[in-house]
Amino acid sequence: MAEPFVEMEYCQITKDGQCACGDDFQWEKPAGEERCIAVLSDGLGSGIKANLLANMTTTMALKFMRSNKPILRSAEIIMDSLPVCEVRKISYATFTIVDLSAATGRARVIEMGNPGYIQLRGETEIPPCSTGNLVSSRWPDRQMDISEIQMAVGDRLIFCSDGVTQAGLGRPEYRFGWRRQGLLEFARELILADPGISARDLSRTIAFNAMSINPDRRCVDDITCAVIYLRKPRTLRIITGPPFHKEDDGAFAALAVPDGGKVIVCGGTTANIITRVLHREVHIDLKLACCSGGLPPPGRMDGVGLVTEGILTLTRVAGLLEAHEWEDAPAAAREIIGLIEESDAIEFVVGTKVNEAHQDPKLPVDLEIRRNIIKRLHEILEKDYGKKVTVRYF
Amino acid sequence: MIDLEICCGTTCYMLGGAALLELEKALPEEWRQLVDVRAVPCTDACAREDLGRAPFVRLNGELIANATREKIYLRLSELVAAAGGEK
Ligand code: FES
Repeated sequence: MAEPFVEMEYCQITKDGQCACGDDFQWEKPAGEERCIAVLSDGLGSGIKANLLANMTTTMALKFMRSNKPILRSAEIIMDSLPVCEVRKISYATFTIVDLSAATGRARVIEMGNPGYIQLRGETEIPPCSTGNLVSSRWPDRQMDISEIQMAVGDRLIFCSDGVTQAGLGRPEYRFGWRRQGLLEFARELILADPGISARDLSRTIAFNAMSINPDRRCVDDITCAVIYLRKPRTLRIITGPPFHKEDDGAFAALAVPDGGKVIVCGGTTANIITRVLHREVHIDLKLACCSGGLPPPGRMDGVGLVTEGILTLTRVAGLLEAHEWEDAPAAAREIIGLIEESDAIEFVVGTKVNEAHQDPKLPVDLEIRRNIIKRLHEILEKDYGKKVTVRYF
Repeated sequence: MIDLEICCGTTCYMLGGAALLELEKALPEEWRQLVDVRAVPCTDACAREDLGRAPFVRLNGELIANATREKIYLRLSELVAAAGGEK
């Protein structure tokens, strides 16, 4: 089986009346390593000051983790660097760090001051097992709990700021807030109702529920909920461009038959080759032509899936992904992005034969070369969207 | 039924095919029941130099190069008349 995919998402709601969130969440997959590091920090107070404290903490913690610095020394440096609270005489930096190896599922969770993490296998909780704690002699009132855990495919790890667990305080039915127990039960119910719920949906639903149980449904403290979901990768194959050698058409077209994932065919000639080899028809909805926003309307191929025009559509998709904005995008581009969003691993199958007609100087705009568009897509999907991308040329 | 296939591949779309995709709505009422308008991914004619220029459409399988609304109407009216004559 392919290596499990790590879906890492979070949802954040800023305290009412503040222009910046006092929590911060950052994560990264260090290049060349099958490793994911996530840090969630809650800055003292709220607003800009808290935001800076939290951001300094996550940034430093991520850097120390990446370079495998000893954790106690790293935490001391973090605490030394942050301003000290006048009242409590502590440099307030809570954090939860998760350092996960995607290949083995081994993870180390380091917690200081945040609500305890939750590990769920399906809807069953694997109780936390702290394997030790560390206390700095310089900051004796700050203790770090360390848990070495094993995650399996299908496991989820939930961690949050206290804006989640203390939600509801002030209402008689939540005398002590929602607490970790309330969050745990809520998450279990959600997973029971939708066993494949994404990290994104789970973190959002938890964060918004926390807000909604607050008195008057107000966001009285910054809320951040992060979810790591280790799952079987969802794959998407995007096939575009005719193969360089005609004799490869058969092998190329066979890749259009989905084998566990989804398939998109981008390009008219490409669609024709597949139609010819597989005897499948394409149906294009002409009703979408009027709202197609400068792109040919999308279609469907029986037993394959989405079919769109090639170069113009992929160029638009690359631009939209780079701008992180596609709400009003034309149907074809929006559909492709929708499928990309719900996939973890994207495989481009690229035919390299040049379409002579695309070199016609009478064309109103210069068409980008297919390989360049794929290169742009490859880069942005890995860098900004955390997708695993592979490219296969024909 | 008369088959009208409009190419919505890259080259055709950019050279005027985009405007043809909404042709169905503009057809006279009495033609609409007679003509089946469809879009196709590419007619493959763009890859050939001997078949004329894009945009391409196909009317009952017959390729029309450099297609414009006028050209399509003209050929359609002939086909509609022929179909009427056969009835
Ligand atoms: S793009 Fe129209 S024939 Fe190929």
